[in-house]
Amino acid sequence: MKQQGVTLDIAIIGCGQIADSHILESRRIDGTNIVGVCDLNKHLAKQAALRFNITHHFTDVEKLLKETKPDVVHITTPPRSHFSLGQIVLKRGIHVYMEKPFTTNLSEAEELIATANKMGKLICAGHNAAFDPAMLRLKKLTSKGNIGNIVHLDSLMGYNLDGPFGAVFMNDPYHWLHKLPGGLAQNNISHPISLILSQMPGKVTVQANGFRFRKQQFNDIRDTFFDEVRALLVSENITGQLIFTSRCRPVQTYLRALGTDGVIYASMDSRTVTISKGANMPGPFAKLQWAYREAKESNRELYGHVKNMLTANLHYMEGMKELLNQFYRAIQGKQSMPIPMEETLRVTDVMDQIINQCNANDPR
Amino acid sequence: MTLGRAHKGQQTILVTGGAGFLGQEVVKILLAETDHTIRCLVRPETTQQRFEKILGDQQSHHNRFELFPASFNDADALKDACKNTSVVLHLAASTVGSIPSQIANTVVATENLLNACVARKALSKFVLCSSFGVIGASAINRGEDIDEQVPLETHPELRDPYSFTKLAQEQLLWKYQKKYDLPINVIRPGVIFGPPHSILTPRIGISMFGLFLHLGGKNKIPLTFKTNCAKAIVLAGLNEHITNEAFCIVDDDLPTSSYLLKRYKKQIAPIRHIRIPYLILRQLAKLNTWYSDKTNDHIPKIFTTYKVDAMWQGNNFPNTKAKKMLNWRPETSMDEALDATFEYMKSTLHNVDHK
Repeated sequence: MKQQGVTLDIAIIGCGQIADSHILESRRIDGTNIVGVCDLNKHLAKQAALRFNITHHFTDVEKLLKETKPDVVHITTPPRSHFSLGQIVLKRGIHVYMEKPFTTNLSEAEELIATANKMGKLICAGHNAAFDPAMLRLKKLTSKGNIGNIVHLDSLMGYNLDGPFGAVFMNDPYHWLHKLPGGLAQNNISHPISLILSQMPGKVTVQANGFRFRKQQFNDIRDTFFDEVRALLVSENITGQLIFTSRCRPVQTYLRALGTDGVIYASMDSRTVTISKGANMPGPFAKLQWAYREAKESNRELYGHVKNMLTANLHYMEGMKELLNQFYRAIQGKQSMPIPMEETLRVTDVMDQIINQCNANDPR
Repeated sequence: MTLGRAHKGQQTILVTGGAGFLGQEVVKILLAETDHTIRCLVRPETTQQRFEKILGDQQSHHNRFELFPASFNDADALKDACKNTSVVLHLAASTVGSIPSQIANTVVATENLLNACVARKALSKFVLCSSFGVIGASAINRGEDIDEQVPLETHPELRDPYSFTKLAQEQLLWKYQKKYDLPINVIRPGVIFGPPHSILTPRIGISMFGLFLHLGGKNKIPLTFKTNCAKAIVLAGLNEHITNEAFCIVDDDLPTSSYLLKRYKKQIAPIRHIRIPYLILRQLAKLNTWYSDKTNDHIPKIFTTYKVDAMWQGNNFPNTKAKKMLNWRPETSMDEALDATFEYMKSTLHNVDHK
């Protein structure tokens, strides 16, 4: 029998590629125990159990919940199943961590959150990019007024269609990604949306366009998704630009906040944060001073990373670990929800607007 | 070891992965040495153009060749692919990506194909192209033989994603063999080589931090030239008397890792390398594992002692079973095969692994 408050029992539904990260990162948190994994396909469930030394694996969700009695379930299945699985788990009185995208549309998200509220349970969206150490530093700096009032936010997310996951769905016209209303973008842009919205309060309006700039070579569903998305987000007196690109190299994700008193650039890839305050010297000295200040910023980050390397503090999925840790603490009543449920609805609403506009503006 | 034309009349042979590196050689042999109809199950986007060079101008080749584009996730299409098929040569497999995606693309795909095959019932042979990676080589001492007698891997999770997946795939096939009395043969090739692939395999070494770490030393590298390996697969499929056997396929006169690296440096590119002897590599693997465990995978376990023992301890690789039972011989000698491979690499220097 488990000692209440000491161990958080976790179950994973969906044993694809991203489940590996959920298992590894949740295990980095003290007081957690993975009690079971589940996948519709027995081979996928079995491989996860074998590789991560997890005692129980299932192909039936009800059996998983009944036999392992988890405190929290991570849902890491393809997005179209998020809503129905979320409902099943919440209605059994179990907290949910939902991999992004939270749901495939806003109405599903609203219904899911209503169920969570009714059951008195928590549901957390996997918008872990906003919890990457670089993004948390940016948030801290902007909240302290380091760059004055925010005027504009730029967020870019790159994607490699030839990468490990890209190669999988590009080779398979039956892959679940092709059935999403927003295709590839829908599976990814909740990250840059959540980064922008973390600094942009209020109701957001959207103008968006999607493009297919890759070679059209399949003559099937694989030629339909947008590989490039551009969106302009506006809320009160702040604007934001979202760029989703599959051509830009190096592949990267960043957030840049432009303020009335400076600019902050936070990169998830280098996990660095640099602040630009410009120069106050005259003529050519300004160029020198500007370059000096930029070099100083870069040097500080470099030395910080040398220290981080030596102290083993540069884990790849640190943002996920931080979000999970805060969510588990919220479940235990030790803090508030790291991502309030209303914020999850805002991200889903903006996602819906972007996808609807991309599809509406599509000349095909 | 000619296959002879008209094996009990004309049959239809289904080849999966026929558009791939090894699959193309299998198709070539079937066209050249048999009268059977060859049905190639390929990815949905693959066109006949891919096979034009193999088919050539001979009308009889075109008449006996059927392209069957389909996904392994399409159960109905797989059933159609297996229609009137007497032999299946299953070569398709995922070689890159995470373990879950390789499992989905290799093991689940194989299960779907097997289900289509057992539904048909009239299959005379199902041949799987497995891998040396499924063999539990860590349990064997240095210098001992690695052959069909060595039990299968017991800790695939400690090996690489490809070995993990191929073991699950082969175990699945043996299960089907028992459950449905499916006549099967398994081919476990060593390192399949030949143009356009480079000769520098992980058994010789790996590139890291701008250096080539030479890990193979004086070990023999279990090579098999692509045409030799393809012939073994075809023989395992068409031999009516040999069933439910596994065969390790390596060529004769295996070269050492040092020889291959030296020749590569001389003929292809003067790469910077550092030799890491087996015993030192083992200590480095222990250090890698200790650090990784201590820091929650801050640096992944690139080397473990288990993997080092399986890959680089140095063993012998006999091929007597295939020779005896399948009457297989590596028709292309090691010298000829290496000459062709190095010649190709030299002619396409922009494709070399290291500059």
